[in-house]
Amino acid sequence: MTVGGGAAGAPQALDPKKIRIYGLVGSVIGIYLAWILNSVTGTNIFSFVGALAALFGVVLGANAVRRVCAYGIGTGVPSIGMLALGMGVVASLFGLNLAEQLGVGVLGVIIALVYSVVFGYVIGLIANRVMGFNIPIMEEGLFDLSGAGTMAILGWSFAISGSLAYADIVKDVFNTGFLAIIFICGGLAILHPFNANLGPDEKQDRTLVNGVMVGGMATIATGICALMTLGFAAGMLEIVVGFAVWYYFYVWYFRLAKRDASAVVGTGLLPPSAL
Amino acid sequence: MDAFGMGLVAAMGALATVAGASEDIESDIGSQSNPNSQVQLAAQVGNPHRIYNKAIAGEPPSNALWCTTAAIMAYVLIEGYHMPLLFAVAVGASLAALFNGVMATSAYLGRNASQARFNQWIYLDIIRYTTPSIMAHVWITSFCITLISTIQVYVLTPHHPFPIPVIALIWGLTVGAIGSSVGDIHYGGEREFQWRLFGQGLNTMLSGQIVRKAEAGLRNSIDNAWFCAKFGGPCTGMGFGLTVFLDNWRTTVFDPVTHAGAAIAMGLFFVIVMNLYNFYCELSARRKYGPYPGYKGDIAA
Repeated sequence: MTVGGGAAGAPQALDPKKIRIYGLVGSVIGIYLAWILNSVTGTNIFSFVGALAALFGVVLGANAVRRVCAYGIGTGVPSIGMLALGMGVVASLFGLNLAEQLGVGVLGVIIALVYSVVFGYVIGLIANRVMGFNIPIMEEGLFDLSGAGTMAILGWSFAISGSLAYADIVKDVFNTGFLAIIFICGGLAILHPFNANLGPDEKQDRTLVNGVMVGGMATIATGICALMTLGFAAGMLEIVVGFAVWYYFYVWYFRLAKRDASAVVGTGLLPPSAL
Repeated sequence: MDAFGMGLVAAMGALATVAGASEDIESDIGSQSNPNSQVQLAAQVGNPHRIYNKAIAGEPPSNALWCTTAAIMAYVLIEGYHMPLLFAVAVGASLAALFNGVMATSAYLGRNASQARFNQWIYLDIIRYTTPSIMAHVWITSFCITLISTIQVYVLTPHHPFPIPVIALIWGLTVGAIGSSVGDIHYGGEREFQWRLFGQGLNTMLSGQIVRKAEAGLRNSIDNAWFCAKFGGPCTGMGFGLTVFLDNWRTTVFDPVTHAGAAIAMGLFFVIVMNLYNFYCELSARRKYGPYPGYKGDIAA
């Protein structure tokens, strides 16, 4: 049974095509910017830019979840978020490893992105054609989700390892087990927005603001991991940036919830109509 | 088998029991997981309520998040900054509780704001006095789970080869899955529908018709914690505690390398005994309370 899912084709102010372009391009540019800043200055202090780049992917993913799940997937919202990050782990490992094998280590992000969107599209095709989901935007949705999951994994992995080299990411992110927090907190950043706002009066801006807010929390978490892998200064800077993002967007989210609610009361009985 | 190892296994079982109980009560205070669908539906069928509506994914992913958060903090403090183990785990659990508070309040605000057309209000006093209870229970759950993970990695021999955050993620998923399938049934079946007849199932007609009024005044989620702490929580604790204890017991008594066959046989034995016991419990319940009067034609189906 669908529980309180929105109507098919949820109303939206921001065009999904625009969000897709901004999400994918923004996160790729952000990760490379972080890499360039770290390489040029010879430090790892700019690793937090990678975490900010992941937020672009999160917005894209959150929007894709709300579009796909508005077709009546209520209890499947968490599953689809986990699916996105699962595809992301496979694609990012594949991309980074292949780039290393071919001797073009820096292009790993692009290879991972291309592989992930193709991978997502094929899974969407299988879901629709073979398993018979019959959701018109399933292919598009999984294209976006897979790309978003990959960018989230890569951005936050960079924020922990400070490097795009396959060996460094395996050493700092996979062997330490920090991938677990990227997987689960990044997954929540993509799936929690629509899940937390599920209902017929869900609004796109409120959902996306929630996504960035949870992304800020994931940035705090990766900052804590960076305290160990990158050192105190880089880790602390990341925690402060993550906290700032979280605080700004939490206050914004609270304002939007007050705007959209039928009433916000300090205390009281049930609405007069229900007593 | 050594006495120290067996003592550790017993301690892990005890921690798991506490973790399971607090996990279930935490999800019940917030109406997470499967009872949540009825809380969500209530407003939509014209029954606005004052019950906390906390939807943070399903229970397995959300508990995985709390436990992993606590575990990374503890791991960083232990490995990177050489802090005492218990202190590190306590700091990690505090961070997990803060994360939980943010997620819980954002879910309450968002879900209720998205039901504006059904006149479901946002009550700030509910956020103010219910959220700390939820956070406190998460603190207990993530503290116990992270402590189990650290015992497995640092103390219990042979040391577990996985890093602490990954073990905590897996235990978090497990405790969430067990809480969702054991304790939540108690909340969803017995508390939200107190007047339901045995064997009735949940009739579609009754969807969303949850109990909204308490013994005095309107029901809130703290009342639900009081109710669930009596049966659902302990049951979940027992389920999770037995899972952790029995599974580690068989590999502590029988060495997994030299006596692998005996360890596997012991596992199979437990599965068979539990299935038989479950079968007995169901038969016994049906004998005592059933059958549903609808089957005899007393009540129109």
